[in-house]
Amino acid sequence: MTLAMREVRWAAGGRMIVDGVTLQAAPGRVLGLIGPNGSGKSSLLRLLCRLRNVASGVVMLDGRDIAAVPRRDLARRLAFVEQQATTEIQLSVCDVIRLGRTPHRAALASWNDADEAAVNEALARVGLTERHDQFWHTLSGGERQRVHIARALAQEPSELILDEPTNHLDIQHQLSILGLVRRLGITCIMALHDLNLAAMFCDEIALLHEGRLQAAGPPDEVLTAEAIQRIFGVAVSIREGASGRRHIEYLIEAERRQS
Amino acid sequence: MSHAVHGPNWPARIAIALASLAALTVSVALAVTIGEMRIPFDTALRALGNGLFDLDFPVSAIQQGVIFDYRLSRALMAGLCGGALALSGAILQALLRNPLAEPYVLGISAGASTGAVAVLILGVGIGGTALTVSAGAFIGSCAALAVVALLATGAGGASDRVILAGVATSQLFNAATATIVTTMASAEQARGVMFWLLGNFGGVRWPDLWIAAPVAFIGFAICMLHAKVLDAFAFGVDAAASLGVAVVRVKVVLFATTAVMTAVMVSIVGTVGFVGLIIPHAARFLVGSGHARLLPACLVIGAIFMILADILSRVLIPQQILPIGVVTALFGAPVFALILYRARRAT
Repeated sequence: MTLAMREVRWAAGGRMIVDGVTLQAAPGRVLGLIGPNGSGKSSLLRLLCRLRNVASGVVMLDGRDIAAVPRRDLARRLAFVEQQATTEIQLSVCDVIRLGRTPHRAALASWNDADEAAVNEALARVGLTERHDQFWHTLSGGERQRVHIARALAQEPSELILDEPTNHLDIQHQLSILGLVRRLGITCIMALHDLNLAAMFCDEIALLHEGRLQAAGPPDEVLTAEAIQRIFGVAVSIREGASGRRHIEYLIEAERRQS
Repeated sequence: MSHAVHGPNWPARIAIALASLAALTVSVALAVTIGEMRIPFDTALRALGNGLFDLDFPVSAIQQGVIFDYRLSRALMAGLCGGALALSGAILQALLRNPLAEPYVLGISAGASTGAVAVLILGVGIGGTALTVSAGAFIGSCAALAVVALLATGAGGASDRVILAGVATSQLFNAATATIVTTMASAEQARGVMFWLLGNFGGVRWPDLWIAAPVAFIGFAICMLHAKVLDAFAFGVDAAASLGVAVVRVKVVLFATTAVMTAVMVSIVGTVGFVGLIIPHAARFLVGSGHARLLPACLVIGAIFMILADILSRVLIPQQILPIGVVTALFGAPVFALILYRARRAT
């Protein structure tokens, strides 16, 4: 067990956003978080890396309550990739990835070999070594997300948390980002919108609805036609796809009447 | 900050530090020798020797006074003020992630004006003893900061809200200032206030520097300790927090530092706009956006800019001294417009 949450509740603006969720991530595996808009996915991820503080319940890293872990120590274990974080500041690709070394460096410490090695390795892992000096604002959406992942990797985390990393990307880039995440070999907890992509790339899936955990387990067990109908309000037909993973086909009204 | 920066390059750092020091020295030398009363350079040097090292060169009392007590203190104050305001601007722009943030835009200067005017014209005091103009300005700027903080927090605390809160606060305090001036002030008082509102190094004397110098240098040291942390704010508050930055503590410490620096400078020299805005942008253009380089660059460039602007304010129109705010705004306004234009295109 690495990262786990027990009976976590969190409210904002008088509304319960995350309502008693108990969940844990298996080491080295990819846990997908799915659910309709406003189901609490983003909030849950922020609670996991203590960007928000739980109202009740506890988030634990290696059995230790993260509320008691200094923020810098936490940042050396947990890295967080937001959806579409951007900046107006003129930064190069390597400037952005260097930010990942922040939790490893004291206030006046100078840049050292370990920092340089971590940055170069992170660049190589996301396949952007030759973009080292390119400016951030000239990158495409997919490249920016890769840079964010590289920045997170430069933190040398054991757990990586990603909030809809494929949002607004075309399908090729969605597949390449998710393939990259899968190959990292570290524990990943990732919110996703696309159910088929979740089925393809996640080892386990947690289904959220109105802040509550509806089901958690392997994609085959969680992504059932009944569950999708009940929570997303969409009729689906599920069959085995060419890859051997399950394929979810959405049925629109007319097709449903015919079948 | 490119990949070439691998460990500290000490020779380059020392060279840059020496060059900055030389540029500052030249600026101060110019400020000391240029002016309405023509004083030869060697006389100026002798006067400095007398004042700084207690030497005994023969210099007339008037020249000694003009060089040492008037021009030198004035130039050093201009440098401290320019450096501190530019530094404050760079910090606010980083924390609020907004290229338009600076002490003037956030209403801190407007608050100082109201405080100063309240003392100058209404004779506001505490417990029967009259306040000095500087103390009034300091209290006013703290009040403005409190109003901005209150408004911005009430509006959710997002960075664009902070700017809006600053604009509203500026308006509020400027209205208060205008009310006091138009209803209570004599023509002569109004003229004095006007001068103060646009910034004025004329009243600077040595005791002012004993306050301004420690504030500027301690403020700079605090900012430098947070240089790396400020870089981490590039992608927003959550990104900074996820990189291990104690966001709330850093914000409180740095907002307080900029507020004190601004309030002290404004309380001594009046309100000076645009320096906090344009110098950080110019410095970024020269040294990039990494704060470990940007902050010292702001301090040095801000200081040089203000010293030169002060010289201009004294020589631009013969027999007259322009308010320093007029000179900085003449340069600042076009740059401000350019930034607005670019910000619009970027969205």
